[in-house]
Amino acid sequence: MRLSGVTVITAVMATNDRIGLTDYSPDGVDLTLIRWMLSLTPAERLEFLEVRVNEIIAIRELNAGT
Amino acid sequence: MPERRLAATLRALHDAGIEFILVGGLAAVLNGAPVNTFDVDVVHSRDAANIDRLLQVLELLDAVFRIQPERRLKPNASHLASAGHLNLITKYGPLDLLGTIGRSQGYQELIPHSVELTISEGVRIRVLDLETLIAMKEELGGEKDRAVLPILRRTLEEKRKRQLPGLRPGSGPEPGAW
Repeated sequence: MRLSGVTVITAVMATNDRIGLTDYSPDGVDLTLIRWMLSLTPAERLEFLEVRVNEIIAIRELNAGT
Repeated sequence: MPERRLAATLRALHDAGIEFILVGGLAAVLNGAPVNTFDVDVVHSRDAANIDRLLQVLELLDAVFRIQPERRLKPNASHLASAGHLNLITKYGPLDLLGTIGRSQGYQELIPHSVELTISEGVRIRVLDLETLIAMKEELGGEKDRAVLPILRRTLEEKRKRQLPGLRPGSGPEPGAW
């Protein structure tokens, strides 16, 4: 049987959950991402966001009109 | 499109001695929530002296209303003294100056609900605390606000766990915490 992408991702997440590689809240929030953010200082969080935002803008400019 | 310089916007306000509280998505990020945002939202003091300082720094930032940027309409003292929201575009990106938020809460009312955070060497700014950010989004209940609420609530839970050593083995106080 051919699985859709979503089914495959869900299956991988479920497998990873069983072996303790992920940690999602019941409402689907990635708790590992929150813990990583909390491990940074506020200044580091700001710097990370600024870099990411500028990367996103640069990619959008490369793909302008699409 | 100009590069977004979120920190530079905040530093300019800080260096000019502006009394303000950072709110919105950037406040959520500085509080540790993994959300994305492209603008800077601040509630400013509407005290006359603060408005004078703000007008000067807005000039330096080349701030105009972003509804029709080509007309280059600049905010004036009367705009800044109002309880409304000014959506501006500056040389560093979008900046929203908010006279009040939530239930008509202005700078003075929000101070007890803010924390001071260091954003770079020698630059400490007031940021709305996570509890109040959540309470306001719950109260406003718009679709955009509801979408981000689960992340904010889980971030608050994780922060509280970190502030109570012993709940999670190996978890100490947060680096750079207030």
